[in-house]
Amino acid sequence: MKTKVAFFDFAGCEGCELQIANLEESIVEVTKLVEIVSFREVMKEHSDDYDIAIVEGSISRPMDEERVKRIRKQAKVLVALGACAHLGGVQRLGNRFTVDENKNEVYGTANPNISDKNEYFETPRHKALDEVVQVDYAIPGCPINRVEFIKVLVALLTGKKPPIPDYPVCVECKKRENTCLYTIGGVCMGPVARGGCDAICPTYGNECEACRGYISHPHEKAQLDVLKEHGLSTDEIMNRRTMFTSRYTEQAKEAQ
Amino acid sequence: MKILAKEDFVTFVNALIRNSGMEIDGVKAKGERFAFGPLQSADDLRLDYDVTLLPPKKYFLPQYEQLMSFDLSNPFQTKPVQFPRKRVIIGVHPYDIVAIRQMNSYFLDTDISPNYTQRRKNMLIIGCDVARPQEKAFFGEMGTGSVNYGYDLFLTDLGDRIAIEIGTEEGGNLLSYARNLKEATPVDVQRVKALREANVRKASRGLMVKPTGWHDLLEKNYDSEVWKKQSDKCLACGTCTLVCPTCFCYDVQDDIHLDLKTGERTRTWDGCLLRKFTQIGSGEVFREDILDRYRHRFHRKGRYLPDRFGFIACVGCGRCASQCIPNIADPVNLINKLFEETSHLVTDTLSDPHTITTNLPQPLNINETELLQTPQPATIKTIKRLTQKETLIELELESRKPLGHVPGQFVEVSVMGVGESPLSISSAPDGVNFEIVVRKVGDVTTKLSDMKMGDRIGIRGPFGKGFDVEALKGKNLLFIGGGIGLIPMRSLINYVLGHREEFGEVTILCGCKEPREVLFPDEIAQWNQRGDVHVRSCVDKCPDGTVWDGDIGVITTLIPKVKFDPKATTALVVGPPIMYKFVNRDLLKLGMPEENIVVSLERRMKCGLGKCGHCQINGVYVCKEGPVFRYKDIKNLPEAFM
Repeated sequence: MKTKVAFFDFAGCEGCELQIANLEESIVEVTKLVEIVSFREVMKEHSDDYDIAIVEGSISRPMDEERVKRIRKQAKVLVALGACAHLGGVQRLGNRFTVDENKNEVYGTANPNISDKNEYFETPRHKALDEVVQVDYAIPGCPINRVEFIKVLVALLTGKKPPIPDYPVCVECKKRENTCLYTIGGVCMGPVARGGCDAICPTYGNECEACRGYISHPHEKAQLDVLKEHGLSTDEIMNRRTMFTSRYTEQAKEAQ
Repeated sequence: MKILAKEDFVTFVNALIRNSGMEIDGVKAKGERFAFGPLQSADDLRLDYDVTLLPPKKYFLPQYEQLMSFDLSNPFQTKPVQFPRKRVIIGVHPYDIVAIRQMNSYFLDTDISPNYTQRRKNMLIIGCDVARPQEKAFFGEMGTGSVNYGYDLFLTDLGDRIAIEIGTEEGGNLLSYARNLKEATPVDVQRVKALREANVRKASRGLMVKPTGWHDLLEKNYDSEVWKKQSDKCLACGTCTLVCPTCFCYDVQDDIHLDLKTGERTRTWDGCLLRKFTQIGSGEVFREDILDRYRHRFHRKGRYLPDRFGFIACVGCGRCASQCIPNIADPVNLINKLFEETSHLVTDTLSDPHTITTNLPQPLNINETELLQTPQPATIKTIKRLTQKETLIELELESRKPLGHVPGQFVEVSVMGVGESPLSISSAPDGVNFEIVVRKVGDVTTKLSDMKMGDRIGIRGPFGKGFDVEALKGKNLLFIGGGIGLIPMRSLINYVLGHREEFGEVTILCGCKEPREVLFPDEIAQWNQRGDVHVRSCVDKCPDGTVWDGDIGVITTLIPKVKFDPKATTALVVGPPIMYKFVNRDLLKLGMPEENIVVSLERRMKCGLGKCGHCQINGVYVCKEGPVFRYKDIKNLPEAFM
């Protein structure tokens, strides 16, 4: 019997699921290997009988927490898909403001229907999946790397630990023989950011924003020094450090 | 020396591209920089380049290289690797030619790298003089600004004409594609000479210690403050190693394709600045501190490789210097800082850093190396769970030949599609079959633990230096085994007990964390019952609900409890990395001479051949020169005992 896989989404753009829907010829191979029982973006059918749950998006509202806990209970393996599920996504930047500040900024104050009593507008803090439930594996990235998704799927089906690299983006960037952005007047989070993306952003001239999070044990102090030396102000450094990785900044604050 | 007018040179390159039937690569512009790549036309070729982003090592040791592909239904019938057709690379600078020569020495010294050999044979090198050295280059000071061998053809751009030297017959044959080839005039020869002399001056940056003195400088300043100051700024991003023409360390991984039926084993570049480089299955990282990684890179270049091969593994290309973001990778800077901050006299300890004996690929002796290179199928004869984590597996090579190991050696075990793991051989070297013990920590060991009788796995080896059994004969032996250190030790113990009359008094001390982790309780009991062996075991702690009638405490607490004459006993110590420091200290305190202590060390043994770089303790390869060492021989290696 084929392994049953279900996709779920929470707060996020669903772009990571789109990457999977866009696997082109590989998607046929994928459907030969597993039975997809739920995938809102591409099919109407839904079943609550699944082995692997692949979950995209950050968890923000109490109703989301309840839902993801139900998914966790059902799934044998829970995979966090993409930066939102892995780290909390760019929306996590909102955690720096109060709930009211966010609400007023987005919806204004004119409409009385927008109150704390409306559960859809209840917007507390954005969290990564593993801050709410136990996550077995995370596929990082904004969006995910399709090739890596296939590798993770194969690993899960063959009983291997998914091969998510723990080296900086620089490794793949150098292997692709890119010109380092730092050497042509740019800056980049590559030296502390987790690789596995094949350095796609620097390859096309865009700086790395660490959408895959940090490597374990990044040398953050050295990275800060480098950004300072390249003329970034404290604010600019903070912005670069919080785009995708405010999770770590929050954690560091809590630790203090 | 030959001469081609510029337009005839263009015609020559275009003729090579169109008519030679070979792949023609050369230096091309890449954005604001340069890189080697396939040439579509002679117009792409940029002989005026300063330096390429990556060195030409990518042709000989590619970033990603398939080592084998297999079908999981019969994984040991591997499909041969498809090598590219003959390729010419045009525009290799002298320093990069020196680096390729070093690479030859490195990979061909023991005739063990068929992939490298094949790639090297498939490659023709057309060198060229440096037209304008890049800002950070210092090949003038490294003696690598000109070469007289290691190329097939060598070009010098003289503005309106190209001077050509012929290095090999095969290179000379390429010139049949050229028209209007003339002999060089004495003026041309003079101009080439002048250009090279000018380059040596231009590519000099004030290096304060000449290359032949680096070895001494590094050795005497191993603990200098400079390492700390510099590495505080290090991002540990790996750039300096990846762009280096003389960094050859690699990793190997298995992939299964989406069909779940086929897979491949791939070799990729790795680097000693990366944290995971020294990490073993159980999680220990042997160079956790960036300082240690940063220092290792320079010592490998200036000491460890020179000790082995006679060359300084730096050719002064300046790639690391120009690509390091915090600007700390520059060898000129580092060497000068070390020199400035220490006042001692630096002596030349190397004669000529770039003297290399090996030049061209040597023929392989396949019979001798096959067992080490390619996994040989072996069948699981018995499999037995020892503890919650450890499993004993008895294996038979399908060739029905004995493994031929010595106690203390290890094998690389392949589960095709999953990967390879170094595992100690636990059985004594008698009989056809052999045993390994697997601790479930990673993918390979988890798969192995779950296997059944009759399953097939791959074996490479045996590797390394085991215990010197002959030297131990007639001696009193004190075995000290901590945790899974008992696995390789059991091989020697059972050998000794099988030839009991050949050895003196035998004492066995073994310890582990708690009673349920004891590996061979029945066997230990049998040893104890023999009467001619003294056995004592301990556990660190005995949690509620478990039974233990031995000692409680760490293994060092057993040493004072047994009688042995420290002066006339040889200690054999195997255990987790942390154990050695304490056990060795206690043995020495009792008056045991240093030469009587024998240890077996654990490191990340990946290739088993002393090539991938992961297992190095300073300049020593644990996979080749170890894992068994005499304490005396490695006590002065700062990285040996944690």
